[in-house]
Amino acid sequence: MASTDEIIEAYGEWQSRSNANDRLRKMLRGWDRVVIVETTDTHERLTITVVDQTLTDIVVGAPEMVDLVVTGTSEDFCDMFWGDLNPSEKYISGEIVIHGAQADVMRLDAMSMVAFLDQ
Amino acid sequence: MHVPEQLRDAVVIGAGLAGLRAAVDLERAGCDVLVLEARDRIGGRAWSGVAEDGSTIDFGGQWLGPGQTRALALAEATGMEVFPTWVAGANVELREGERLEYSGLIPTADPDASIEVVTAMLDLDLLGLDVPVGAPWEHEDAALLDAETMATWLDRNLASPVSRGIVEVALQAVFGVNSDELSVLFVLAYLHGGGGLTNLTRTTGGAQERRMDAGAGALAAHLAKKLHGRIELDAPVDRIEWDATGVTVHVVGRSVPVTARRAVLALSPILAERIALDPEVPQRHALAAGMTMGRVRKVHARYARPFWRERGLSGQLISTNGSISSTFDNSPSDGTSGALVGFIAGRDYDATADLTDDARRNLVLDELACAFGPEARLATEYHEVDWPAEEWTGGGPVAVMQPGVLTRVGDALRRPIGPVHLAGTETALEWCGYLEGALESGERAAAEVVASLALTKGSEEG
Repeated sequence: MASTDEIIEAYGEWQSRSNANDRLRKMLRGWDRVVIVETTDTHERLTITVVDQTLTDIVVGAPEMVDLVVTGTSEDFCDMFWGDLNPSEKYISGEIVIHGAQADVMRLDAMSMVAFLDQ
Repeated sequence: MHVPEQLRDAVVIGAGLAGLRAAVDLERAGCDVLVLEARDRIGGRAWSGVAEDGSTIDFGGQWLGPGQTRALALAEATGMEVFPTWVAGANVELREGERLEYSGLIPTADPDASIEVVTAMLDLDLLGLDVPVGAPWEHEDAALLDAETMATWLDRNLASPVSRGIVEVALQAVFGVNSDELSVLFVLAYLHGGGGLTNLTRTTGGAQERRMDAGAGALAAHLAKKLHGRIELDAPVDRIEWDATGVTVHVVGRSVPVTARRAVLALSPILAERIALDPEVPQRHALAAGMTMGRVRKVHARYARPFWRERGLSGQLISTNGSISSTFDNSPSDGTSGALVGFIAGRDYDATADLTDDARRNLVLDELACAFGPEARLATEYHEVDWPAEEWTGGGPVAVMQPGVLTRVGDALRRPIGPVHLAGTETALEWCGYLEGALESGERAAAEVVASLALTKGSEEG
């Protein structure tokens, strides 16, 4: 089990890698979204916002209006953000679940493949 | 003048999954139904046999995946085991004489190419979402999209030959043809109905996720059992006379035709063209002429054990050179013996069609040995199913559309011809080309027939 602080620290690594990744930023063009990370074991909700092709800092808590909700264990989120775990494999195995519009889910799935390939 | 048999409520032509599903639904609705099948067996493209060790070999469609609710429910109803396709271990890519290992969906040896592939597949999947599956011709850019082949779309969207090769293999695997034989609009509609190219090419989480221990043929057998012998085999139909009141169906070699108030034609549109409709329907000729049946040879190599697993390999292969374009681990669920299934499709099918059986077998086993090790040459059993040579299917896995067909005559795909209703996986809205699509189409055609018979009855009772 990972603490909220550990998730936030790991996300910081993911955020700086992603924001420095031109190919990933290209995929984010025109895709401003509010994404909630929801942990199934620690019951934490954290918010990531994508604005102007940039991932913002992760924030504890969730607004009412969201585009995507990504659910998984705190450990998996930590490993995923550190780059130790392929998020796409966790998604297709059903261990990470994404709720949202089909197009947004497809894009997040593809983005996670690119982010993992590029690290 | 032939004296017809009794007038039935419905006759179903084709005892594949679509026809059997339609017939069972019709019978459940209280209809007197007869199924006519040209072959000496049922199942169509859902066809299974038995290997020497007693395990099942699927000669045609074989996988189930998430979202295929009808096929999964039917498999459950048969009581057979549905188990995950083996995926543990590294996948192999053969490219220009090089052997590379990778994990995940896309070969990763060339990250730039891999990212280009992911991006192109996402673009196709997102474009597909905007195409109405039931009426692709209503898309605002339908004419443009239907004027282009996938080959030119790939030329415009993929810079690297490596990424181009990978997507070409994906299209070959899904459609059994190459990109220059496919309309972009057709592909987008197909992808929309199947959850996207990413979904269709995935194993876990996608269309190749699960297998059936008794095989797809058991799905057909389960449905056939419910029809209590109302299936006539070796009964190829060559002519259907139709008018508003019903059909007269002529079976080759029989002097007495079958008459019914409705018919369900549960065949691919290309195969259906072999049946003369009287009166003719010119749109159906145009539809068949603009479609191409996939060309796939399905290859099974069986082994004493799944030796590749001991080497940390999954049995999955993507090859952009050679004859086989993709393979999967097809061993029985208990892993007591090993099996690899592979596909020779599209231009690779054409290039190897004239080889002798022995030469092609050696070529295939050599390619498997390159990918998985020299033991692959020591197959204990080897089977090929040449789907284009199957007279009563004419190819596989699915009939596809060339440019210009959907926008010109696409609406003829499902629109009933008077009392003749149309089924077959090619007519499915979702999972076209899959076992699920066949079941969906049969269900829809049966519902159409039941509704139209009820209307007729209602007006007769007045």
